[in-house]
Amino acid sequence: MDDILNKIAYCVEFGKINLQSPYPPDMKGLPGADELTQEALDKGIDADDILQKALVVGMEKVGIKFRENKIFVPQVLMSAKAMNMAIRHLKPYFLSGNIKRKGTVVIGTVAGDLHDIGKNLVAMMFEGNGWEVIDLGTDVSAQKFVEELKNHPGSHVGLSALLTTTMVNMEQIVREVKNVAPDSRVLIGGAPVNEEFKTKIGADFYSPDPQGAVEFLNSVASR
Amino acid sequence: MTKKENLERLFAGMEITSKLFRPILMHFAARFNNHSYAEFASDHRVLVDCNIKAMDYFGMDMVGLISDPYRETSAFGADISFPEEAVPICASQIIRTFDDVKSLKNPDVYKNLRTRDRIDGAALYQKLLKGNVPVIGWIEGPLAEACDLTGVSQMLMQLMLDPDFSNILLDKVVVTAKEFARAQIEEGCDIIGIGDAICSQIDPDTYDLYIKKRHRELIDYIHEQGARVKLHICGNITHLLPSIRELGMDILDLDWQVDMDHAYEVVGPEVVRCGNIDPVLIQNRSEEQVRELTAKLIRKESGRRHILSAGCEITVNTPVENLLAMRIESNN
Repeated sequence: MDDILNKIAYCVEFGKINLQSPYPPDMKGLPGADELTQEALDKGIDADDILQKALVVGMEKVGIKFRENKIFVPQVLMSAKAMNMAIRHLKPYFLSGNIKRKGTVVIGTVAGDLHDIGKNLVAMMFEGNGWEVIDLGTDVSAQKFVEELKNHPGSHVGLSALLTTTMVNMEQIVREVKNVAPDSRVLIGGAPVNEEFKTKIGADFYSPDPQGAVEFLNSVASR
Repeated sequence: MTKKENLERLFAGMEITSKLFRPILMHFAARFNNHSYAEFASDHRVLVDCNIKAMDYFGMDMVGLISDPYRETSAFGADISFPEEAVPICASQIIRTFDDVKSLKNPDVYKNLRTRDRIDGAALYQKLLKGNVPVIGWIEGPLAEACDLTGVSQMLMQLMLDPDFSNILLDKVVVTAKEFARAQIEEGCDIIGIGDAICSQIDPDTYDLYIKKRHRELIDYIHEQGARVKLHICGNITHLLPSIRELGMDILDLDWQVDMDHAYEVVGPEVVRCGNIDPVLIQNRSEEQVRELTAKLIRKESGRRHILSAGCEITVNTPVENLLAMRIESNN
């Protein structure tokens, strides 16, 4: 069992999507996360084991390497794509409750800001670490975050901004989120924001990289 | 001595009369002159007027034509809209498939309204400034333009998955970048800025494989046309500096995440480095603190070829006195 889970983790870590994918070049012609996940399920391996012992392990390595500048955005995107292919096979098990999520994160780029790459990277990391992600996209208002929190009680919130002109909109969102869901943790990220800004607007956590955000929420979930 | 002569002395490693100062101005320049960003980005007369007034008020040493990433994107056929007070928006990417790449036609930069507007801006600067002030034209770098046309995530994945897609598209955008640069140089631009913001997000191998040779090609071409080159990449490019030092650009614009001393060590004393105070600090710190940051940077750059600037664009909400503090401190 460990062998195939290790192989899936390896595919996620190095972004091997499926048999057809030419990336990475040294794995050309080999099965990817897609085929190996199906094979693992066919062999009767528990879906939760596939998530925890393969996908989470692989994405954690990706997050750490990204934080340490050993890989960059294109490699992370390939890993996320490989992870998504594996997750597709696990969807029925999420729906049936055979796999338990760590929790839910409502994530979006704040009002006035259309940049999505940073937000997408964080969303992928959360999903690959066993969190359900409600991705509201870009240009998301405080009202929309509040609505989604009402639909998903107990969720946490991730806010992204790339512009100095839009980072200020985080403050209103944090305030309104805390009004309706004081126990929700609000995480912020993006080029112009920092620890000082986090404190100023009353958010709970700032991370300069996706892995830090994942580790923070994992620690919250494990308390 | 004119500002242009002063800049040439800096390039030559000669003593200059005052510290050169020129941060990237876009939305700030518009707001400072009571214009909307939409007006600034869509009408070269507004852009030129705002830049000249900002240059005069803040004692800057150059003017520029930068406004937003979507001049060439528009010329390639994308629809661009202009919110009053936000960066222009490209509603949807025009490259979705390999067939789209193959059928992409290089535009006539004189016929498209947005590229023509920038070329006209270059001409207007010459008319108003009479060739005494260095004018920085602007083109989108090859990877940034490919991302504008394809979408950032999609393009970065294509670099990993499909060399043909990537190479053909990058070659096409380089053709237009050259034509757009030449048109601006012919109208009097002394420097062409190449903005390739997304490059900080790719690894050195991918940069070397796809982008380095195209940056080099663009830089050589601009030099052949008689202008100098300023390369601007947003974010941390420390990992790319060993490759970038071989490009031959005249000015390397460094964002605040890059250590200026390290960049000096890597790219060498011949390259003028421009930067690199964090623009968020310039916006949020007190006037006194901005002066301290400026003084610290100037001390560090003493005796080196350096242009004082922020790491990236001066943000629209930067207090006027904070930007002025940079000039005042640099005059000291």
